[in-house]
This record gives sequence, C-alpha cells and structure tokens, in this order.
Amino acid sequence: MFAKRLMNGILERRVMLLFALSALILSVVCGSAFAAEEKVIKIGALFPLTGPAAVSGQNCLAAVQTAADIINGKHDFKDFPLAEKEGLLDGYKIEIVPGDHQGKPDVAKSEAERLFNQENVFAIIGSYNSSASKPASAVAERLKKIFMCGASSSAELTERGFNYFFRTAATDAIESKEFVDYIDYLNKNKGAGIKTLGLLYENSEFGKHAAIEGKKAAATIGIEVVADVPFTVGATNMNSEIQKLKSTNPDVVFGAALGSDYSLMARTMKQSNWAPKIFINYCTGYQNPSINKELGSDGNFFMGGMGYSPEIAEVYMKAALPAQEIYRSKTGFPLDSDSIQESVCLHVLAQAIEKAGAADTEKVVNILRSETFPSPLSLSGQVAFSPGGQNNKAFTVITQIVDQKYLTVFPKDYADSELTYPFPAWDKR
Amino acid sequence: MVEPAGKNRSVEGRVWIALVAALALLAVIPGAIGNRFYAHVLVLILLYASMAQSWNILGGYCGQVSFGHSVFFGIGAYGAGMAMVKYGTVPWPGVIIGAILAAAVSAVISWPCFKLRGHYFAIATFAIVEIFGRLFLVWDWIGGALGLDYPIMDDSWKYFLWSSDKTGYYAGALVLFVLVFGVVRRMERTRLGYYMRAVREGQETAESLGVNSSLVKLMAMALSAFFAALCGAFFAQYNYRVDPPMVVSLDMSMKFVLITILGGMGTFWGPLLGAAVLIPLQEYTRTYLASLGPGVDQMIYGLLIIFMMMRQPRGIMGFIGEFSGKAGKTAKKGGDDNAAS
Amino acid sequence: MTDFAQVLADGLMNGAIYGLVAAGLSLIWGVMDVINFAHGEFLMAAMYVCYWVGVLIGLDPLISWVLTGAFLFLLSAVSYKVVVRRCIGKSAMAPLLATFGLSIFLKNFCLNMFTPNFRLLSGTFLEGMVFNFFGMAIPAPQLAASLFSLVMLYVLYYFVKRTRTGWAIQATAMDKEAAELMGIDTERIFTLVFGLGGACVGIAGGFMASYLAVFPEVGTLFSLIAFVVVALGGFGSIPGALCAAILIGLVESFAGFYIAPVIKYVAVFALYIVVILIRPKGLFGW
Repeated sequence: MFAKRLMNGILERRVMLLFALSALILSVVCGSAFAAEEKVIKIGALFPLTGPAAVSGQNCLAAVQTAADIINGKHDFKDFPLAEKEGLLDGYKIEIVPGDHQGKPDVAKSEAERLFNQENVFAIIGSYNSSASKPASAVAERLKKIFMCGASSSAELTERGFNYFFRTAATDAIESKEFVDYIDYLNKNKGAGIKTLGLLYENSEFGKHAAIEGKKAAATIGIEVVADVPFTVGATNMNSEIQKLKSTNPDVVFGAALGSDYSLMARTMKQSNWAPKIFINYCTGYQNPSINKELGSDGNFFMGGMGYSPEIAEVYMKAALPAQEIYRSKTGFPLDSDSIQESVCLHVLAQAIEKAGAADTEKVVNILRSETFPSPLSLSGQVAFSPGGQNNKAFTVITQIVDQKYLTVFPKDYADSELTYPFPAWDKR
Repeated sequence: MVEPAGKNRSVEGRVWIALVAALALLAVIPGAIGNRFYAHVLVLILLYASMAQSWNILGGYCGQVSFGHSVFFGIGAYGAGMAMVKYGTVPWPGVIIGAILAAAVSAVISWPCFKLRGHYFAIATFAIVEIFGRLFLVWDWIGGALGLDYPIMDDSWKYFLWSSDKTGYYAGALVLFVLVFGVVRRMERTRLGYYMRAVREGQETAESLGVNSSLVKLMAMALSAFFAALCGAFFAQYNYRVDPPMVVSLDMSMKFVLITILGGMGTFWGPLLGAAVLIPLQEYTRTYLASLGPGVDQMIYGLLIIFMMMRQPRGIMGFIGEFSGKAGKTAKKGGDDNAAS
Repeated sequence: MTDFAQVLADGLMNGAIYGLVAAGLSLIWGVMDVINFAHGEFLMAAMYVCYWVGVLIGLDPLISWVLTGAFLFLLSAVSYKVVVRRCIGKSAMAPLLATFGLSIFLKNFCLNMFTPNFRLLSGTFLEGMVFNFFGMAIPAPQLAASLFSLVMLYVLYYFVKRTRTGWAIQATAMDKEAAELMGIDTERIFTLVFGLGGACVGIAGGFMASYLAVFPEVGTLFSLIAFVVVALGGFGSIPGALCAAILIGLVESFAGFYIAPVIKYVAVFALYIVVILIRPKGLFGW
C-alpha cells in the first residue's frame, strides 16, 4: 500500500519532470542551427503571411522573391543593374528566408530576432504593417543589423534617428503634401473650389498616422476639416461612416482603408448615392489590383498616390516590365505600388553589397547612407537615403482608376489623362 | 480537479523546489541563455505560465470563467509603457501603478458582473474586453491607435531592457513565475483558498455555510488581475512596444483561458504544463512549418485544441491522473481530506 | 430628418441580419448549453460557398441560398458528431474551447486553400439596385437579406413551437433525461439542432455574400455580435434573439451616426452590459 503510493508519487513526479524536460530538450534540439557551407547571403523577408493583411504580405514576399530571382539568375534585362550577372560578388546567391508575423507586433519582434540570431540573415526586408515594422526594426537597430523597409508608410519610422533603418516608399507625410499640392493646383488652375476635407481611415497605427499627416497638410493650404471618421477594421457595415460623410459633405476625402474595408466603403458609397468631388487614397485597397478587379466598375474614379502602376511602367519604367512578368508568374497579378517597394529594397541592398565588396554590415550601411542607387523599379529611377533612413528620391504620382486602368493625372509631366472631376454621380453613369 | 492531500503535497513541494532550482541554474550558467531561440521559448513559457496561473486563481480555483483578463494584462502593459515612453523614466513605478490599477478596475467591473451566471458571465467578459480594447484605440492620452514605442537603450536592469542576451529577461520571467506560482501554492492552503473552492463547487451551498461568496470572488478577481497586470508589464518590456490590439484583445484573453484549461484548470501544475506544451508548439510550428504554406501552423494549433478537448477536457493533469491510475478518484475525495467543514 | 430615417432603416436591416446569424446560436445554446465559438467561421464558410457557386456555376444568391443552407447544415451536423458530441458533459468549457479550436482551423484552412484575397460577388441580380424613398437609400441586397432573415426566423420559431419535432427539441432543452425517458432520441435532436443552427447562419451568409467581401477573417466581428445578441435576448429564445438583434442593430446605427462611427461597437457591447445588469438572464431568458 505504502509502496504503491510511493510509486504513484514517484511516477507522477517523473511524468511532470519528463514534460518539462522534453519541452526543454525539444527547444534545444530544434534551436540549433546547421551551418551551411555554400556561397549564400541570407536575407530575411518578414511579412504578414497570415492574418488580416495577408493579401499584401504574400504579395510583398513574392516581390522580394522576384528581385532575388533576377539578381541570382542571368537575365538580359536592359538598364537593370545586377540582372545579367549571376548572383552577387564572386558567385554568392541570395537566399530569401521568409518569416510570418501574422500582423502582430510581438510576433514581429521575435521573428526578427530569430531571423538574425538563428537564421543568421544579413539583413531583413519588411514588414508592411507599420506597427510590426517598428519593433522589428528596433531589434535590428539594437543588434546593429540592417532593416530595409519597403511599404510601411508611417513617417515616424524614419523620424527615430536610427542608423540601420532604410525605407524606400514615400511616407504618408510626403503623400499628404502631394495630395494638397494637387488640390491647390486644381483650385488655382481649374477653379475646382475645393474647400473642405473629410478623412476616412482605419483605426490603426497606419490609418491614424495618415490622418494626422493629412490634417497637417490640409492646414497649409487653408482647407477646413469637416469630418474625421476613423472606422473599425473588419467592420460588419460602413453605414454610419458613409452617412456621417454624406451629411457633412466634404469636397475632398482622404482615405486609408485596406482590403475588404475599401470595397465595403466603395459599395456603401454607391448605395448611399454619395461621393465627394474627389476621393484620394493613401496606400490602401486602391493600389491593390486584385481588389479593383473584384470591384469592377464600382471602383471607378477613385484616386490615390502610387509609386508604380503597370500603365506608368509602360511609359516611364520600361526597365521594370520584365520584372513584372516574373512577379506575375508568381501571383497572377501585375506588380503594385506597395509590393514593388519590397523589390526595390532588395535590389538596392544587393547593389550596396556589391559595391561594398563583401556582406559586411558596416561597409554596406556606409554605402547605403552615402550613395545614390539606380533603381529601375522606382518611379524616379533612383534611390538615395537621408539621415534617419528615408528615401529622398521617393516619388509618387496621383492616379485615377477608370475601367481598372490607372490613369496618371498629376504631376503634369507624368500625366497621361485628364482628371474626371468631379466624381460622377453613381446613378448617372 | 486533482487536490493534493497530505503526502502528495510534500512530493509536490519537493518537485517545485527542484524545478525552480533547475530553472535558476540555467540563468546562472554563463551562455546557457544567450540569444538562442529556445531562450525566447523559455521566456514565453514562463510568462504564459504566469499568466495562466493568474487566471487560474479566478477561473480554476474560484470557478469564475472570465474571458476578460486581457484587460488587466493591457493595463499592466500600458503602466510600464507609459512610464517608459510618455514620462521617459524607469518602468517600475508604472508596473506597480498598473498592477494596482488593474486590481481596482477588476473590483469595479466584477462587482456587477458576478451577479451573472455561467455563459452570461463569460459573454459579459467578452463584452468588457471589446469595450476596453476599442476605447483604448481612441484614447489619445495613452497613444491611441499609434501605440507606444520604446526608445533604443542599452541593456540594463534599471530599465529592464535587453537586446542580444536574454538572460535578464529570463531571470525576470523566472522571478515573476516564482512569485505567481508561489503565491498560489500558499493560497491553496489558506482559508481564502478553501472558500474559493467552496464557491466553485457550489455557490449557494457555500453561502449557506456562511461563506461571503461575493467577497471571496472579489478577492480572487483582484489578486488574479494584479498578477495578470504584472505579466502585461513584462510583455511590454519584452516587445519594445504596446498598442491596444497587441494586449487588449479576445485573442490574448483566449490564451489565458486555453493554456490553463489545456494544462488542467484548478490545479497547481496545470498552467505550467499547458504553457510548456502550447508555447513550443505555437513557436516551432510557425517557424518550421512555414514551407507548408500559410496558416498550416495555426491549423495544427486548432486541431490540437480540438483533440485535447475531445479526449481529455481536464487537460494534461487529467491525462496524468488517468495514467497513474487516479482516474477513479474525484476532486471531492481529495477535498474531503482537507475541507474545513 | 432624412438622416434619422436613414439611420433607422440601416439599423433595422442590420439588426434583422444579425438576428438570423444569432438565431442558430441561440437554439444551440438553449438546447445543448453549448456556445459555438466557430459560428463566425461557419458564416465565412457559407459566404465562400455562395461565392464559389456564384463564380463557377453562375447561380445567383437569391437561389443559391438553399445550397449554402444545406451545406452548412451538413457542416454543422458533422462538426457536432465529430467534435462537440465528445465534449459535452465532460466540462462546461470543453465544447466552447473545442469550437474555438475549430474556428481557428476553419479560418486558416480557407486562408490556405482560397488565399487571403478578398472576393466580391458581382453580377448578381440585385446588385446595385437601390430603393429610394423619403430620402432614404435602401439597397436591395441588404433589404432582401433582412426580409429573408425575418421570414426564416419566423419559420424557425414556428418549427420549434408548433411541430412535433419542435416540441421534442423544447423537451430536450428543458430536461434531457426526462425527454429520453419519454422516448425522444436526444442524440438525434442534438444533431438536428446543431445542423439547424448552422443552416440559419448558412442562409444568412448566402445573402450577405451578395454585398460583403468574402475573406477568411470576415466572420470574426459577426461572431462576437452574435454572442452578445444571444446573451442579450436570453438563451434559447428565438423571439428574444430577434428583439435583441434589432435593438443592437439600432444602437449600432444611432451611436455610429450621432456619436461617432468608431465607437459604434463599443455602444453595442456597453448596451449588453447595461441590460444584463438589470436583467441577468437577458431580455427573455428563463
């Protein structure tokens, strides 16, 4: 009896210790990395591959892989640095190591650490959501490793005084300024009479920051904000939001709504038979070709800031077209304004490594900070970073969608079409 | 629910000391922690075990299943975050204030909620998480949707921030773990502990025996919230950032519940066992199964939860009970040995 | 004044739809005391079915709702048989957490199979049709969905209250052992109830796909609202669920417009807390 109880006690103790130990052992075994002896430069790609932003995250990863394919292979692309040569330096290939942060900043932080510490990546490209890019790049900065950021739009990212952070896309501050420049132009040259502004944005880091920049920019040309409407991501309906806008009836609306919310917004506006005179979007569902395909004619006449569109590429970025075909073979869609920035990141980083002569972080960082890089995937054709990491050659145009084609309307040098202004009434199309 | 009686309790005591000693040893051996991935997993296991155990106080021992713990977690996280970011000082005053505030908030919201029973209570706690989560998103004083981002600083205990070497975080997590588990172990044997279990087993019966069930539930709630907040503060320090969806969300609340139940609700070891299984699973499937396509790791996670609930809803402790032949004994029997009746 | 009318109309329509989504949950809860955490994912599955049927075969949601309802009936019944049945009675939390696991599985399964791309069904019969009276814009797809929800709710109510099977369901809900003693096959009743719950949300989803984008996360907020509707109405009560749903739709709509759109859901959840404190078992609970 006593022996049985003792056995049970020992058994129980053993089982419990076994559990704890096995968890520990599992961790150690799985945690050890195998060193590869090939000539490889590993680059991490940290994006939301699952979760609410998965559409964009997967596109961004495909874009990075497209750039890697071009650099690693032998391609006869015109005006595309590193395309002809196979790989980098003397026969090094780029290996992309993906990481999924699921849209969560805490997962982004631990994935960034894992990519640097366990996978030994040289640099990380990421992370689409500004709220994830922040802790992930903080990890990189603390470890003194490079973080290349493509499409995260929050201006704050390059206002932190970081030394190892580089962002290629235009910020929401830059875009806001361009939007108001355009409004100013329309008011002065076309007598548009735009006086009031409404803001419709998702209540997240990205949306909130874009709205702040929008309001700041509007103040500079004396536009009055009459509606400030944040909304919940993944809302069941947008009735109140659109009705609020309809009742205040601003002349222009700045929008920041990703994916499904964007399409809900467009359709609800159609049902309410209301639209402002112009509706300009930050990087949102507007720039996503798959959403516009689904929206069809309901997406017409919206506008947005873009660093790329297939239509612009046909005229101003011909060197990017072959890259687009590679991307299309991966995703079935043409490149879009957001994901292409991630390709730019890898391409610029690769050029810096090539120039440095080695995958040496300090040398590469110095080159990134001081040189101007040719970038066929960038609208301005070049990339150069200011202190803090912002690409000061980031350039966007304002486009309007008509029949799923992006027509460029501003600045004048790039415009290929006239703006359809004001937004035609829904019931009169 | 397995209740340790007499001899079992001293066995348990010895195991507890051995475990703490082993874990502490890891912190002291140079290079054992470093920046290895398993170090991250260990830190998370200790953190989530502490979170689960804090939930266990209210949910397991006192029988009130709340899905609202991420609110307290969030208050703790913001306490630390506000101190570091908004006021630019060390996090510690924020941590203490956050924990006390969480306990106070828990008292306020629980007072009316405890009138509710069963699923109504559970759904009320969902509603509270949603309310707080959305309000935090629009509350500009704490940063609203923008969140609070930590400044880059050198490693230090003063600010409780580390980058390359996780030993500091590990030690901190271990201290938190020992604190929460130690208090619960103590509490099991105090009068409050017995009153809590009495309320869990039958509130009306307990009341008829003179137990002030409202007060008991309130104290369990406050203690539970206090510890959850401490865990939240650690989370903020570990991730260099706080924003509302990271901390005050139904997903986070479910973690508190899931880990405890998977391990064994109302048991001392349950929270640790649950964390020791779920966290490595979560971390390793995400990192090693990524090539199978997006979402596969989470499908496995979902299937595991289904399997556990179908097979043994009492969690791992339930499995252990079966395995070592205690399947016949019920909680009542163990309770009778020690019940203050 | 037109604003008020619009807000009222939107609230009523959304409320009716929430009602159908929640009715199934209410029935399941009332009869089996199970909260189906995967309810929102069943809605998502229904929307996917409607989308694919529409895209591949060209069936309009006005017809394909029968298919989505049937498919969800099956999916739900199978979920019951395979998962939930083995969890009931073992502990109060087991079915809830098992369905939580199911929800994670379903969501990621669809993410993996169908990619996270947002899908919009276009070219449907009612698409773009809007009725305008008294300055209110009433979109036809939502109107159809809400009217249909009301009809289905009435059919469900009639079924439970007036048919023999419905009485068997009520009996099982009141006292399972007694029902078994009376010769009712409670196992079949449970399967039926779970299936019916799924069918309701399936039909709702079938209609909603005509105006909402379909993607893996679409069900999340609907799920939460459904729980609150059911708890607010009182579990097991279909009229309760409808009243609660309409009330919630109205509160969401009025708070959204007259206070601020961003707190419209805060108002919904706050309403729940307020009501439940006054009536702890919901409006019609027993």
